[in-house]
Amino acid sequence: MENASVLESRSRRFAGKGAALADRLATVAIWFSAMLALALVIGVIAAILWQGLGTALSPSFIFGKPEAMREGGGIWPMVVSSFYLAVLTLSLVLPLGVGAALYLSEFARGGRIVRLVRFGADSLSAVPSVVFGVFGMVVFVIYLGLGYSLMAGALTLTLLNLPTVMRSAEEAVRSVPNSYREAALAMGCSRWEMVKKAVLPVAMPGITTGAILSVGRIVGESAAVVYTVGLFVRKVPWSPFRPAAPMAANIWHMYTEGALVPDWFRVASGEAAFLLLIVLVLNLLARTTAGLVRKKMGYRA
Amino acid sequence: MVSTFTGRGGPGGGQGVGERENAVMEQELEVGAEPAVPGIRVEGGYKFRLRNLSLYYGERKILEDIELDIPENRITAVIGPSGCGKSSFLRCLNRMNDLVEGSRVEGGVFLDGEDIYRRDCDVTALRRRVGMVFQKPNPFPKTIYENVAFGPRILGVRDRATLDEVVETSLRRAALWDEVKDKLKEPALALSGGQQQRLCIARVLAVEPEVILFDEPCSALDPIATQRIEDLLVELKEKYTIVIVTHNMQQAARASDYTAFFLIERQGDPGRLVEFGETGNLFTNPRDERTERDITGRFG
Repeated sequence: MENASVLESRSRRFAGKGAALADRLATVAIWFSAMLALALVIGVIAAILWQGLGTALSPSFIFGKPEAMREGGGIWPMVVSSFYLAVLTLSLVLPLGVGAALYLSEFARGGRIVRLVRFGADSLSAVPSVVFGVFGMVVFVIYLGLGYSLMAGALTLTLLNLPTVMRSAEEAVRSVPNSYREAALAMGCSRWEMVKKAVLPVAMPGITTGAILSVGRIVGESAAVVYTVGLFVRKVPWSPFRPAAPMAANIWHMYTEGALVPDWFRVASGEAAFLLLIVLVLNLLARTTAGLVRKKMGYRA
Repeated sequence: MVSTFTGRGGPGGGQGVGERENAVMEQELEVGAEPAVPGIRVEGGYKFRLRNLSLYYGERKILEDIELDIPENRITAVIGPSGCGKSSFLRCLNRMNDLVEGSRVEGGVFLDGEDIYRRDCDVTALRRRVGMVFQKPNPFPKTIYENVAFGPRILGVRDRATLDEVVETSLRRAALWDEVKDKLKEPALALSGGQQQRLCIARVLAVEPEVILFDEPCSALDPIATQRIEDLLVELKEKYTIVIVTHNMQQAARASDYTAFFLIERQGDPGRLVEFGETGNLFTNPRDERTERDITGRFG
């Protein structure tokens, strides 16, 4: 009772003129920071597209062969490198991440192992990507003898993306209503059958969203691939054990060491605009697919 | 007849492991032995027999010393005020309580004379024999067809024609076929609440259970949908033993053959079985004054 009366008198005191003014100021400040954030995003996107969109949209640039000494080169091997790398990485990180997520949310009983795995994942996600790059170079490129290659890069990016894939998958799995688990178990499903038939299908839209978003992160990652995959190639890399050059690494290479190519600025900004478009499309895709799948399952939006 | 069985769901209570400490009872209890409640005649037999059943969630005792026989091919209603452990009781019959962390069972639950809490009991097989329909309709977010085919598919049925047949028979038995036969490929979640609940019943029927447990199946439904489910129960008892938990006394009086009345005396006490009998007798002529007080209080 006493607590209640204290609260009451406080709220009365706050409800004066000062509170109204503070409320208005706070609203304006919050609105201003939101607008600033939006303006910055739009500004960056506009600047990149302004510089490079003209180049990026021409087929002879996207599908063209890169030039090392002359101007007029294209970026096709870099485009292939980026997507090759994304596919390789996903095929490693998805099973690992989803498996770990399922273990954490459906199978693990003891709190200690769960806490340990979470702590490990959180620590991993706090490490800067350049550190992963150096680690990948030392362990995969040199020690395991993979050399600069898509495989070394995919292994490095697997480590880099594991925490986020795991987290998003775990969130998707945890958001599956318990009533489905109960229904499946009461039908005589074993735990694994329940997970396979009742939990995973329902969690799939969420897991897919996470996967598409990580394709965006893989394609856009530069520091980790600069040290593990390569900066510039002239031919399309068909073997995962050959050097390649993802777009992000190639952009960095062009800006810093690309001076041998007279039109390095055109190539770099064209490539940057193209990469940006891809990431934007991937993000849009991630937003819409989950909704579409859920609609097909019969959930009312 | 004192003996203790402990059903325990693994360390921290997963599913699967039932641990027996003492195995005297199984031999002592044979089909045809005296019923737990004297003075009741049942044609046919008993499907479930419960002896000294107590249920704990951690340190807390939820149910104490339940002695009850559940007649075969009849509808047995379980009634009582909220919090008296009716739903927990129901979940003892298909071991869904194993999922509750720290749950523990003492005493014996015998299905056709076999203790379902014995160590080597196959819980998945048990749950196929004892199906369950939940309070809130919980069809999977799949098509109507796939919901009913779910159980048979788990059992390994692949053949399309067999599946089609099982789906149709189950939907017919659940009195849903005519409403959905033209839209089997549509999502189950697009159905109304009452239809969803009948779909859940069809889903259970598709694995050919012997017993169906209903946990307040109508509490989320309107009166017309409720009526349809009640009619359905009466049809189903021809083939199945039915146990239904309900908070609705009228429903118990209308739809059931036998009624078990559970009560919790004071806050924090475990739920106990106060009275079990033929529904007509229990409602019109209760033997226990607590039953009388509670039932008349609710009807009035």
